[in-house]
Amino acid sequence: MEFGWTEEEQAHRRRIRTLLDETLPADWEQISLHGPGSDAQTAYSKEFCAILADRGLLVPHWPAEHGGEDAPVWQQFILGEEMWAAGEPRGAQYMNVNWVGPVLMKFGTPAQLDKYLPPVRRGESIWCQGFSEPSAGSDLAALRTTAVPVEGGYRVTGAKIWTSYAGQADTCFLLARIPPVAGGAAGKAAIVILLTDMRSPGIQVKPIPALLGDGDIHEVFFDDVFVPAADRLGAEGQAWEIIGFALQNERVGIARYEFSRRMLDRAVARLKTQGRWGDPVIRDRAARALMLCEAARMLVYRVVDGKARNLPPDAFASVARWAVVQADNGVNDFMTEFLPDGLLGADPMQQAHHQRAIAAGVASGAAEIQLNLIARRWLGLPGEPARP
Amino acid sequence: MNFSLTDDQASVMSGLDQLLGQTGENGLQHAVTHVYSAGLDAALAEAGFLDIAREDGFGPLDAALVVERVAREMQVVEVGVSALIAPLLPVDVGIRPIALLSGDAGGAARFLPMAKLLVVDRGDHALLLPVDPDTVVPVETLLAYPFGRLSEVDLDSGTRFDDIAGVRRRWRIALAAEAAGCMAAALAAIIDHVTSRFAFGRPLGSFQAIHHRLAMAAETAESTRWLALRAAWSDDDGDAALAAGFAQSRIAGFTYDLHQFAGAMGLTLEFPLHLWTYRLRALASDLGGASLQARALADAVWGEAA
Repeated sequence: MEFGWTEEEQAHRRRIRTLLDETLPADWEQISLHGPGSDAQTAYSKEFCAILADRGLLVPHWPAEHGGEDAPVWQQFILGEEMWAAGEPRGAQYMNVNWVGPVLMKFGTPAQLDKYLPPVRRGESIWCQGFSEPSAGSDLAALRTTAVPVEGGYRVTGAKIWTSYAGQADTCFLLARIPPVAGGAAGKAAIVILLTDMRSPGIQVKPIPALLGDGDIHEVFFDDVFVPAADRLGAEGQAWEIIGFALQNERVGIARYEFSRRMLDRAVARLKTQGRWGDPVIRDRAARALMLCEAARMLVYRVVDGKARNLPPDAFASVARWAVVQADNGVNDFMTEFLPDGLLGADPMQQAHHQRAIAAGVASGAAEIQLNLIARRWLGLPGEPARP
Repeated sequence: MNFSLTDDQASVMSGLDQLLGQTGENGLQHAVTHVYSAGLDAALAEAGFLDIAREDGFGPLDAALVVERVAREMQVVEVGVSALIAPLLPVDVGIRPIALLSGDAGGAARFLPMAKLLVVDRGDHALLLPVDPDTVVPVETLLAYPFGRLSEVDLDSGTRFDDIAGVRRRWRIALAAEAAGCMAAALAAIIDHVTSRFAFGRPLGSFQAIHHRLAMAAETAESTRWLALRAAWSDDDGDAALAAGFAQSRIAGFTYDLHQFAGAMGLTLEFPLHLWTYRLRALASDLGGASLQARALADAVWGEAA
């Protein structure tokens, strides 16, 4: 059992921090203020990801055959920690490199790999995730958007909601259902994944004003949109397996606790400057928030460790996700109570953290779904009776 | 970073499991507040598990693994102080069990009725007091350890030990490791209960209200365990305060929920849940409780208040 970093891992972290110090512009805090989906951050992320790609730091964890360097899992994770802690200058790209790329590598056709991987490797493409719908959020299997098989492909009709980055995206990782009248199977088996060109006729994107920042979430409407069969990922009936693989990568893919930890350090520095660090209540509360961050870190590391050792995925990722939500909110609550001026213009990074924290328990599926998964799959508790 | 046991650790834990399998109890034989086992204590000492941190190639992490594992047993024995604090002290190997106190040497201490040594945190130093069994008065309590207090305190008979920071650090690690073991065992006991007991025609454990709170309890138990092990690995003041403070800050909610799901059965001495939850409740106040650990953590990480 070993909880330290190797020399190589420490050097990797230093290299990333140096790059961030040298690369991020002086007004980065203002750029990051409005969130990864904003125009400003999206524009900057393309510039930044090109630099990362140039230095071999965008997809080093990908297999060499797909343009990566077969870098160890921990190196990928260190990269993710440092990026998220800096306010995620990769913008929407973190999603592409963390799970869209790996999912394509596992389930994509050679033609799809040729089409989609190079722009991700170069940091040029932006994807959005067409999962949630007005009546299917955490209950993803209830999605209603239809994909009717036609000559050469599918005709898609329906609506998605809460879609991050849709306003900027080139491609949508779209889930739709083949309706029974068109020969669709029952339940999850009817779902297909369509890698949909967001410039296709019939797609309309509408931003939803939100607490999260500019351009972060959208409604996306599909009106008889044609998607070629060549852009279906996996076989019909295979979608749920692919989604499970994708979510496995996504749930602990973001090192939220690291950003929270850095924000907490920053908050303490501000409190010291204000002469308030002598207050035992403040020190108590800051430390309790720190406990949550470090608990989340250890549980996430436990998940990454399993991945690094090629162990089969288990439900521990859900345990870690719950801890991460507690950490984000614990730090946010601390700062909101003791440093409210940070949300009144004094600290753009605090506001950026706040906007990420309030979404922590909702994005990637409600945290309560993780509690269900922990109960059923980690603790082995019996399930609720089936709905009548 | 590697969360798996080394071959040596796996061998030690396998041996420990074997010993516990031979000497442990599978069920609660009597309605009692705690089950102290002199036999298990002797067997652990004889096999060298309590001295593992002194062995070449082993250290506090291995000791914490032992503490956590033994704490899952129904029987209670003094492991944490012997395995983690004793190696720091200028006392002969085998002078144990060891009791701990903060401040007043006349306070009630765990394991004092069978202790050979009492370590008292006197603020800027520790005082090591040999224990005369004739001066120990047992204390009746629901808290599931054998407690006692000295009827006479002779501070002059003690030996001063200056590394109070080391004592507190290891105390915190021991506390966190013991809490992790108690939480794991208590959670397992209540999962058995809610899986086998039916209400409204369904297992109790099929209700979502119970799912969610037990899932949160699982996060508490896992976080406590991994923070304790990391603190033992680093043997760092901040990590130790963090692990102990986290455990203590979660004990009230954790024990409340588990008793709640046991219903009235959880209020009896026949149901074994209290053997772990009332150890946890005793640990909640060690070293001044969660707030003092939190402030010690703040000092260690961000510096003391000016």
